[in-house]
Amino acid sequence: MMLRLINLKFFVFVIFFILILVCSNKTFAAEGGPCKDYGECDKFKYSLNDLESLQRGASTYINYCYGCHSLQYSRWGRVAKDLEIPEDIFFENLVFDKSIKPGDLMTGAMPEDAANWFGVTPPDLTLVSRYKGDDWIYTYLRAYYEDSSKQYGVNNLVYPGTAMPNVLLSLQGNQKLVCKDIPEIASNGGEKRDESGKTITKEKCGFLEVEEGTGQLSKEEFDSLIYDLTNFLVYIGEPSKATRERIGWYVVFYFLIFTALSSLLYREYHKDYNK
Amino acid sequence: MNEMASKLFSWVNKRLPIVNTFERHMSKHPVPSKVNFWYLFGALAAVTLIIQIVSGIWLIMPYSNTEEEAFSSIEYIMRDVDYGWVIRYIHTTGASLFFAVVYLHMFRGLLYGSYQKPRELVWIFGCTIYLAMMAEGFLGYVLPYGQMSYWGAQVIISLFGAIPYIGESLELWVRGDYYISGITVSRFFALHVVALPLVLIALVFLHLVALHEVGAGNPEGVDIEEHLDEDGIPLDSVPFFPYKVLNALVAIGVFMTVFSIIMFFFPEGGGYFIEMANFQKANPLVTPDHIAPVWYYAPFYTMLRAVPDPLGGLIVMASAVAIFFIVPWLDRSKVASIRYKGIFSKIALTLFGVSFLTLGYLGTVGVTEIRKLVSIICTVIYFSYFLLMPIYTKYEKTKEVPERL
Amino acid sequence: MQEKDKTRRKVLIGLTSAVGLSGLPFAATPFIAAWNPSAKAKAAGAPVKLDVSKMQYGQQIQVAWRKQPVFIVRHTKESLASLDLTLPKLADPNSDQIVELYKGLNLSRSKSPEYSVMSGVCTHLGCAPKYFPEVEPKPWDATWSGGFFCPCHGSMFDIVGRVFKGVPAPTNLVVPPHMFEGSILTIGEDKDL
Repeated sequence: MMLRLINLKFFVFVIFFILILVCSNKTFAAEGGPCKDYGECDKFKYSLNDLESLQRGASTYINYCYGCHSLQYSRWGRVAKDLEIPEDIFFENLVFDKSIKPGDLMTGAMPEDAANWFGVTPPDLTLVSRYKGDDWIYTYLRAYYEDSSKQYGVNNLVYPGTAMPNVLLSLQGNQKLVCKDIPEIASNGGEKRDESGKTITKEKCGFLEVEEGTGQLSKEEFDSLIYDLTNFLVYIGEPSKATRERIGWYVVFYFLIFTALSSLLYREYHKDYNK
Repeated sequence: MNEMASKLFSWVNKRLPIVNTFERHMSKHPVPSKVNFWYLFGALAAVTLIIQIVSGIWLIMPYSNTEEEAFSSIEYIMRDVDYGWVIRYIHTTGASLFFAVVYLHMFRGLLYGSYQKPRELVWIFGCTIYLAMMAEGFLGYVLPYGQMSYWGAQVIISLFGAIPYIGESLELWVRGDYYISGITVSRFFALHVVALPLVLIALVFLHLVALHEVGAGNPEGVDIEEHLDEDGIPLDSVPFFPYKVLNALVAIGVFMTVFSIIMFFFPEGGGYFIEMANFQKANPLVTPDHIAPVWYYAPFYTMLRAVPDPLGGLIVMASAVAIFFIVPWLDRSKVASIRYKGIFSKIALTLFGVSFLTLGYLGTVGVTEIRKLVSIICTVIYFSYFLLMPIYTKYEKTKEVPERL
Repeated sequence: MQEKDKTRRKVLIGLTSAVGLSGLPFAATPFIAAWNPSAKAKAAGAPVKLDVSKMQYGQQIQVAWRKQPVFIVRHTKESLASLDLTLPKLADPNSDQIVELYKGLNLSRSKSPEYSVMSGVCTHLGCAPKYFPEVEPKPWDATWSGGFFCPCHGSMFDIVGRVFKGVPAPTNLVVPPHMFEGSILTIGEDKDL
């Protein structure tokens, strides 16, 4: 009985400890807001077991991003292997420099003097998902809008004044900041209505809207393209992540069994002095 | 065959005290028969120390301690070395859990008066271990040479600059360069992997030797040596082996479950165990938006920030750690355990715990006016707990401690 | 203590130790695997390609594969024909004592009848043998008919890397996996294997 109490206390304690961590983390995340003018970042849930998504993401990355952004800690062959793309197909379609070997690092396709094109050197993106977070990337890439005052005619809500032009503009189309009439929310959480029962609205600005017919992709298609791209960046940020989470279950299961058995054994010996 | 083995064993045993040591420290070493889970964190700390040493040795092999390669060698470990990520995550998770376990172990000490006579030296060795750990953790955090490594080290090394007269030259001397460069990293590396581990192991050895000399305490604060059986063994004791070893085994099982949940599913610990900014290579020209220490230094960092003057901050921070050393002489109570102490001790310890956690939380978030005020209040509570201890422990009404466990 | 309790205790000790010990190999895996050649080492040890059409007849060149010397020799018809002459001196002319990739395929021991490809690491203690193609008396062999001589301990091999009798080296020089695509020789990879 004594032991059961101890274990219970211990577990409560451990759970409490984890709760504190999680809660304080939430409080921390809410502060400042990494997505700046956009407000709260859109949530992104990676799915590293969806190889097709990762393959599409890799293809988008290499076609649209790799020209400027290297992935210098990653190796070509590893990407092909992890994404289960046969090496010959991978090298045929995604590797443009034919002198590249599978073991080579993805050091980028930028010429030396390219730093001057944008005023800043385009950063390496191998670890971007780890220092910016997947939510941030997913939101950032979808938050470009037309702004003629800027060098490339675009600005970004998540990263105001970003030095990167919107390379996906032809796919997404012309996104603009618009104002909308939206229902006012009453203090009880419902929509405010006037006496005749009509919803009271108020004009609010800062909404992103794509001009109809200017992009090759629909909004859903574009979102899914960015999803795949972000998913790929999550993979490249930590290639062993899927393996890690898979092995993790076995290890945790093992230690649970070990705990159960050693606990039974301890209880057995405990009888010696607890009579 | 059996005879050969026993002959060999007795040959060795005549030259090396195997049986004696085992009996003295294991099978015949009496420990209190009734303790609670708070008494298991010492064993867990020992386990974590071993985990850190083994994984650390394996990390030294592929790590490169130069300015150009330190950061990329971490990614090399994470990607190119077979299972390198497992070893690195063991080490990062282990570092945080080492501190978690040690903090709980220390809190147990305050809770049940483990520092009281005759365990003052055990306590002092323990405090020294904690001090060495703080240095060890700091040095280790610089090695990946990420943004947080750099700027964290920048802040800590700047503290030396607050020392009057010699400050600036001391700062330069510690860095060995005009900024935290490869030269700094490689000397920190040497200290982290050789010097401080040696110190830590020596201190842990002394901590244990001193503990086994005076015996472990218990949550009742009863001296079990008062009641012995005819063989001179305390009546309220059980042999360390197998009873306490098995108890520790259960604790290790639970601990390793928590360890593996964190390591395999939340290795960054929500940005508390591995901070996000540390996935960017150190850039001496760009400070990250938000500099926060790793969680285990956070309470002391908050105290540092709460004082406007750097030297004052440094003194407050150093005293916050140093004050632990004199706790055995601050506590004037007749009883050891919180169970028999008076209401003032209970309130004081609760306030201390709350203020410590609050200080920790505040250290990981940005500063606002109100937070600054709270951190000053908490710092005052933190120190009052210690400085008022001689008064409230001496004059409060304590309960009668039972004779036996 | 009752008999029943004793058995229970024994069973529990057995089970706990078994589970505990069974975890050890898994715990050791990362630490053992971390010593394997890393992706970086493997990339550096990737197959080597070179064009051998410019080599002269009788010429030997040395390339590095995995930072180890590999010898390539372009044989003349005459030198290949005279291989039989050294037969009596050889310890293992058909490479029966070792596992050889291209055994019996060509006289040159490689995938090409004209070129020999062999590791330049003496099978004795790892020195690099030197190439002496001349057919003339040498200080180490009065009836030398061309081949490799190791300066470290005097091991001798013929021009296709087969070891002589009575020398310290126990086996023939190793033939690494390789392939020819036209005149492009790839060392370290063979798509037919």
